[in-house]
Order: sequence, then C-alpha cells, then structure tokens
Amino acid sequence: MIVLGLEGTAWNLSASLVSDDEVLCEANSPYIPIVGGIHPREAAQHFANNVIGVISEVLSSTDLHSIEGVAFSQGPGLGPCLRIVGTAARAIALRLGVPLVGVNHCIAHIEIERWKTDLSDPIVLYVSGANSQVLSYRQKRYRILGETLDIGIGNCLDKFARSAGLTHPGGPKVERLAQESQRYIPMPYVVKGMDFSFSGIATAAQEALKSALLEDICHSFQETAFSMLVEVCERALSQTDKSDLLLAGGVGANKRLQEMLAVMCSERSARFFAPKSEYLQDNGAMIAYTGLLMLSHGLHTPIAASGANPNFRPDEVEVPWIKG
Amino acid sequence: MDQGIVEVVTGAEAAVYIQAHSVTKKRVPKKYRAAELDIKLRKERTKSETKIQSEARKAGVPTPIIQEIDGFDITMERIEGPSVRSVINETIAEQIGEVLCTLHSAGIAHGDPTTRNMIVLNKRIYLIDFGLASYDKSLEARGVDVHVFFQSLEASHENFRALKKAFLAGYTKKCRDAEQVLSKVEEIKGRGRYL
Repeated sequence: MIVLGLEGTAWNLSASLVSDDEVLCEANSPYIPIVGGIHPREAAQHFANNVIGVISEVLSSTDLHSIEGVAFSQGPGLGPCLRIVGTAARAIALRLGVPLVGVNHCIAHIEIERWKTDLSDPIVLYVSGANSQVLSYRQKRYRILGETLDIGIGNCLDKFARSAGLTHPGGPKVERLAQESQRYIPMPYVVKGMDFSFSGIATAAQEALKSALLEDICHSFQETAFSMLVEVCERALSQTDKSDLLLAGGVGANKRLQEMLAVMCSERSARFFAPKSEYLQDNGAMIAYTGLLMLSHGLHTPIAASGANPNFRPDEVEVPWIKG
Repeated sequence: MDQGIVEVVTGAEAAVYIQAHSVTKKRVPKKYRAAELDIKLRKERTKSETKIQSEARKAGVPTPIIQEIDGFDITMERIEGPSVRSVINETIAEQIGEVLCTLHSAGIAHGDPTTRNMIVLNKRIYLIDFGLASYDKSLEARGVDVHVFFQSLEASHENFRALKKAFLAGYTKKCRDAEQVLSKVEEIKGRGRYL
C-alpha cells in the first residue's frame, strides 16, 4: 500500500509518500517567523501558499493510481494550520477516490519510531512546543500517564527565550547558553503525582533575568524543568514494569534532556531511544505511515468527521495495530 | 538499620528495606539531576512524607509509627500483616472505604492508595507509603484517590464490582459528599487517564 501524508500542525508543512516498507519521498516547507514566535495566521498563510508545492513535489515522482489513501494531521495543533492541510487532504482524497484518514500527530511521532527501531512497547516522553506528555500503550490505546497541567515545555522555553531577547526558536539557544554555566539557581519544581507544571518556572526564569546571569538561568531552567520530566518517566517505567523509554517531539533534540534520560534509564537497566533528528521534528512521513497503519486496520475518516481537532488527545484514538 | 534485612523493594524514588521489626525507606540520589536540586528535593520530600504520615495517624488513620528520620532515610515500625492485595474481601473493602474517608476528612490525599499500599493487621487497615501524599481537600484529589483504588481493584480482582460497592458503603458512612466524589471519579475516568 502507498499512502500520501500531509503534516501541518504548527511550523513545518510537509508531504510524504510511504509504502509498507519505506519512506518513498518527502517535501518540506517550514514556516520561519521573521520576528517573535509562531503566529498562527501567518503560519497558515505560509501553508496555504506552499501546500500545492509540497504535494506536487512528492506526487511528481509517482503514479497517482498507486496511491491508496490520503492521511493528514488532524490535531493537536494550531486550528488555522490544521484547516489548510485538512482541506488539501480532502480535495486530493476525493479527486483520487481513495479513503481519507485523520491522524493524531502525537501518535504519528510514536509510530514512526516504532517502525524505525526495534521498540515494541515503550514508555513515551512526547515533548514539543505545545505538548508534554508521558504515554504508555495499554488495551488498544496509548494512555496518558502524566502530562503538563498548563503549558508545554517548548512553549515555556520559547516564552523565556523571547523575554531574554533570544530569537525563535529559543530552545537551541537556551541549550547552548546553559552549557556555559554550572551554577544552579533554585526554580519552582512542580510534579503532582504523574503530572508536571511549567508556568511557574517560566515566570521565575523571566524574573531572574533582573538579577542573574543569563547562562546561569538557562542552566537552572533546563536542570529543573527536565528533571521534572525525567522523574515522571522513571515513575512511569516503575509503575508499568516496562523497560524501554522513547523520546519524541521537537524538544527531544535537546542533548541535555537526552543525557538525563539516558542516565536515568541506565541506572534502572532500561533502554533509552533518542530518535533520529529527521523524525524528531514534525514530518509528513510519520503521518503517512500512521495513516497506512490505520487504513490497513480498517480505520478511515469520513469527510463529515474530518474537521480540524486542535485539542486532539492521543487516548481518543483506537490502536488496533498493536497486539495485546 | 541494625536488624537483618528481610526484603528490599525498589521503587522509582526510594529503596525500601524491610527488617524484622522495622522498615527503612531510603530516598536514593538521582544522578541525572543537578546535585543541589537532588538534595533539596529529597530533603523536602522526606520531611513532608513523615509529617503527613504522622498527621494521618493523629487523625485516626492507621499508619506505621515513624521511629527515626536520618537525613533522607525514614525508619518506621513494620506492620507485619498481609497486603490487602492478597486478602481483600467485601468486609475489608468496606473498612478501606471508612479509612480513606477518615483520611480525606483530615484534608489529606494519599496519592497512591492501591491495594499494595495497604496492610491488614488485627482487623485494622494500615495505609503505607505516603510518598505521593499531599494536603489537599479538593474533590479532584479525593476523586483521584478513589479512582486509583478502583483501578487497583480492577487490575487484580475478579469480583471488583462487589468490592467497589462495599468500599462505597464504607466511604459513604461518614463522608456525606461521597456522591460528588464519585461523579468526580467518573469524570476522571472519562479523561481516559491512567494514573
């Protein structure tokens, strides 16, 4: 089976074709803000201007009759962006007369890693701009074991970075500055059961800019926020008796976060999987591949149910492709 | 720790050394986090856990008596009875309802009241492991407690429906707002969360 996948939840507009065995091709058109962070309307305009381009690019190399389904990122994400890729996906599915399938962006991040590694049943730490969740498969669904009570870790980093005068995306700049410091300034550490909260630390870090060195704040910010994530992951491994941990989402590119998770895992003899950078960031291949999984298990999305779902939770999706 | 160690249980946060007459919970250092943060967290949590466990006891909830706090180690009496998990029946479930209601009425949420974290001794139900406990009177926190307990029933007991019913009978006896807590439990369940 060959499936066309369209990703467009926030910043990266991406189209891809995958078969049962491999990613056939992918075309990307990232939206890069000139100033500030991601502006939903501007991102959507960028998507609208470029969606035909990325789709044409991947379709130019294939026989249209070989495509058996069209998958698109239905959520979670920015409404205006989701609507662009949803409209494009509907149009193509109707034109080709093939089924349409709305994919959960978070599950797509997990599935592409399960496809590309030997992972079968990991605990997943999914960290991106808007999302921060710890997930675990159980009884036909990815269950959310823990999640942020307020903002995502990526937004928290970006928010602080902007107030420190660092340009978007702030995460990599904070990471670089943090390497220059070893001085720890106490910051709010909020773990409640299996959930964490980042709004307090965002405020505290902004406040600290008045009195402390930027390098020290970046270091302390990362140490505190990442420790919260690692602690919940460790608890999740312990509670579920699972022994693999998978990192997914854009913030997963952070080397310090990877290092902390690796240390935690090695101390409890668990395996840690940091994904390849090409799949850490949002990509069309993961949407196409997850769409392929869904279609080959009889799941598709009727046009009437294909609207954008900005708050789409991974545990809303039935997962029949995992046994057990 | 001077007596022979009977068993060691390792959790995510601490190692628990079970001895002949006492139990020592050691919060182990975590190498992944900055040393300053590591020490601060372990200190605060050791303090809060012992405080809440003692408060619960004062409020009439059977919990092990704390014998000693040494740095990050808590030593408490060993409750030498079977885990509720292995002996639960409807009478015990009803008693658990009463105990959890007493705890909640004292403004404490246990955080992890599974059948593994309860011991039966002399017909009393002891709550152990206050590592995730907090002072929290909210319906949400109480709902989470009841939800976690129900899940532990569903996970390992065939007759969980009868056990739930018995638990609720016990919980409702003194906690008049049990119905509100129960509708919170339904809401939490509806979120699809797995706590």
